[in-house]
Amino acid sequence: MSSSSSGWSGDAEPTEDGAEESDHLSVSGVTEENQARAGEALRASFARLSPQGSDEWNFMGAFTHLGDRYGPYQPGASDLADLLRAKGGSATKRGGRRGRLFSSAEPAVDGEKPEIDDAMTHVIEAFRFMHARVSTLEARLRTEDVPLDGAAWLAPTRELDGWIEPITALVLARSPGGDVVHADCGEGALVRALAAAGTPSHGVEPRGAVALRALERGSAVTISEVAEDLARRPASSLGGVVLSGVVDRLPLHAIVPLLADCRRALAPGAPIVVVSEPPAEAAGTTPTSQDMVDRAALHLETWELLLDRSGFVDLTPLPDGTGGDERFGIAASTPAT
Amino acid sequence: MSGVHHFVPVLHRGDAVGRHTLRLRDATRRRGIESNIFVDVVQDETADETLPAIAYAEGAQRGDVVVYQFATASLMAPWLAGRTETLVVNYHNITPPELMAPWDHHLALGQDRARDDLAVLAPRTALAIADSAYNETHLAESGFAATAVVPPSAALSDEVTAAPSPETMPDNAAGRRGGVWLAVGRVAPNKALEHSIAALAAARQHADPGATLRIVGKPVTDSYEQALRRYVADLGLEHAVSFSGYATDAAVAAAYRSADVLVVTSEHEGFCVPVVEAMAAGLPVVAFDRGAVPEVLGGAGVVVTSREPYALAAAIGAVLADPARQTELAEAGRRRLAELDLPNAADRFVDLLSQLREQGAAKRR
Repeated sequence: MSSSSSGWSGDAEPTEDGAEESDHLSVSGVTEENQARAGEALRASFARLSPQGSDEWNFMGAFTHLGDRYGPYQPGASDLADLLRAKGGSATKRGGRRGRLFSSAEPAVDGEKPEIDDAMTHVIEAFRFMHARVSTLEARLRTEDVPLDGAAWLAPTRELDGWIEPITALVLARSPGGDVVHADCGEGALVRALAAAGTPSHGVEPRGAVALRALERGSAVTISEVAEDLARRPASSLGGVVLSGVVDRLPLHAIVPLLADCRRALAPGAPIVVVSEPPAEAAGTTPTSQDMVDRAALHLETWELLLDRSGFVDLTPLPDGTGGDERFGIAASTPAT
Repeated sequence: MSGVHHFVPVLHRGDAVGRHTLRLRDATRRRGIESNIFVDVVQDETADETLPAIAYAEGAQRGDVVVYQFATASLMAPWLAGRTETLVVNYHNITPPELMAPWDHHLALGQDRARDDLAVLAPRTALAIADSAYNETHLAESGFAATAVVPPSAALSDEVTAAPSPETMPDNAAGRRGGVWLAVGRVAPNKALEHSIAALAAARQHADPGATLRIVGKPVTDSYEQALRRYVADLGLEHAVSFSGYATDAAVAAAYRSADVLVVTSEHEGFCVPVVEAMAAGLPVVAFDRGAVPEVLGGAGVVVTSREPYALAAAIGAVLADPARQTELAEAGRRRLAELDLPNAADRFVDLLSQLREQGAAKRR
C-alpha cells in the first residue's frame, strides 16, 4: 500500500499473524537516524516527569502500609479482615493471617510477637509524621518556583540567525574542550554549526515541537528546561554554555541560580555567552505573555553584575551589531584555575 | 445440593469484571445450578446481588465449585486457597509492578502482592481460565497446571455498542480539521499514552497539522495523569489533546463513532477491551504489538512493532489517507469479533464449570 498521499513514504507489509506492519513507513527528508534520535529525546522528556518515589503518593504508599499487606485497615471495610481480627489475630501481618486462614496448623511466625507489633506501630507512626512534614514542604514548593506547564511557549523566541557565526568563533577560541550547551536552542542551528566545526555540542529546548525540528535536522537536543539539564552534568565538565531565549523568559530570581548551575558545570576557563532581547522587547509580544511571563527587563549592565557576582571573569560585552539585529550579547568565562 | 459460586473482592456494576461476574452468575443459574456472588466488601450499589464472603462457609456444600475473579490482591485469595472446595480462578491479568512503580509505589506494591496471591492459588486451583492465550501463558508460568481460555463475557456492554445519541457526540465532530485519534481505557502507566502523544506531535509536524487525540478514561494515579498533561503542554499540544476523564458508556460509544482511528500504545494488556469495542464500532485499530493486543486483533488491525513515534504516526497516517483500507479494516474487525463470539462466552465458561462439577460428583460416587 502506497502512503505518499498521507505525507509519509514507504510501503506496508503483512506480518506473520496477518496484521499489517508499517514500521518502515517514514518521513521524507528525515533520516532514520534522526527519527530515532528524536524518538529517544521524546521518551527521555516524558520519563523525566515521573516522580520516582519522591512525591507524596509514593511516600505515603511506600511507608505507611508497612506490615499491612492489603492496604490500610479500616474497620468495617473488609469482612474477612474483621473476622480475622475478631478471632484475635492481625489481618495485616503475614504470619497472623497465614496462621489463621489456612486450614493446616501452620505455626505462627515472629510477626505475631507483641513486641514486634509495638515496634511496627511506632515505625509506622514515625513515617506518618515524616509524611505530614514532607507533604507540607511539597505543598509549599508547589506554590513557589514551579513553572506553568508549557510556559516556554508563551514567550516565543527568535532563532540566533546572525549570531551563530560570531558565537561559534568565540566559543572555539575560548573553549577548553568538552560539551558546549545551548539553551534555548530553538531549531538547533548553533548546535549544528558547533558540531560542524568539530566541537561537541548539545541543545536544550523546552518546547517539544521546536526541539523535534532540531532533532530531525540532526542536532543533539534534550527536551527540557536548561536547569534540569545542567543538574545532570558533572561539575567542571562543560566546554561552554550559550544562553539565549531562556534569558528572555525567566524571572530574575530564576536566572541567579541558573548562572550558579552554569558556573558549577563549566570547566575552568570555559566561556559563557548570553544573548538577550533588549529590555523593551522582552516584555512579550502577546497579552498572555505580557501578563504571565514573569521576566524583569535586564539591561547589559545588570548582566555584567550578575555574571560577576556568579563568579565569572573576563566579562566582554559583544560589540553592537554583532548578530545583525537589536539583541545584545555578553561573554564571560570561568576562572582558569 | 452443590452449586457454582462466584467470588470477587468487590462487585461494581460499572466495571468489566463486575459485569462479567454477574453474567457468569446468571448463565450458571440458567443451567439450574445454584449460584451466588460472594464479596469481601459489600457495596451499596450491588448489595442486593451479593452475599458476604464470610457467610459462605456456613452454607458451603460438598461438591461446590468456587470461582475466584482474580484481578487484584485480596484477602480472598489466601482465604479461598485455604478452603477445600473445587477452586477455579478466572484470571484477568496483573499489570507488571515495574510499569507502575515509577509513578505510584503503593499501586505497584498491590500488584506485587497480587503476584504473591497467584502463587498461593496455583497449587490449589483445579482450573484456571484466562481471558486470552497471552494470560494463559502467564498462568502456566505461575504454576497453574490446568488452564483454558475464554474471552471476557462482558467485554462489550450494550450501551457501548448501541448507536450514540446526538447529544453525547463530541462538540467538534462536525468541524474537525484533521484526523481524530482515540485512546480509550484507564489512564494508567501500562497504557503508555505518552507514545500516542509523541506520535501525534510527529504527525502534526509532517502530515496532518490538524490531527487531534482524545483520551477517554479515568486516571488511575494522579502522578501519571499530571505528567501526561505536562508533556502535552511541553509539546505545544494543549489544543490538540483532550482528556475526558471518566466517561459513561454512552459517551464512550459516541467517542468511537466520532473518531477516525483507535490508537493503542499499551506496554501491557491482558486482553484490551477497547480493541473489541472499536471493532464493534467499525473503527480501524492501530496498535503496538504488546501483551494480548495482537492476539485479540487477530490480524484485523495495524500492528506496529517499533516504538518510534514516527513509525506509529506513519502507520496511522497511512490508514487515515486510505478510505478503502479503513473499510477493509472495519470489515476485518467485524469478522474477528464474530470469531471471538463474546455473546456466548459466558455459556462456554459455564460449560467448563459444569464439567468440573460433574467430574467432582462422579469421583464422590
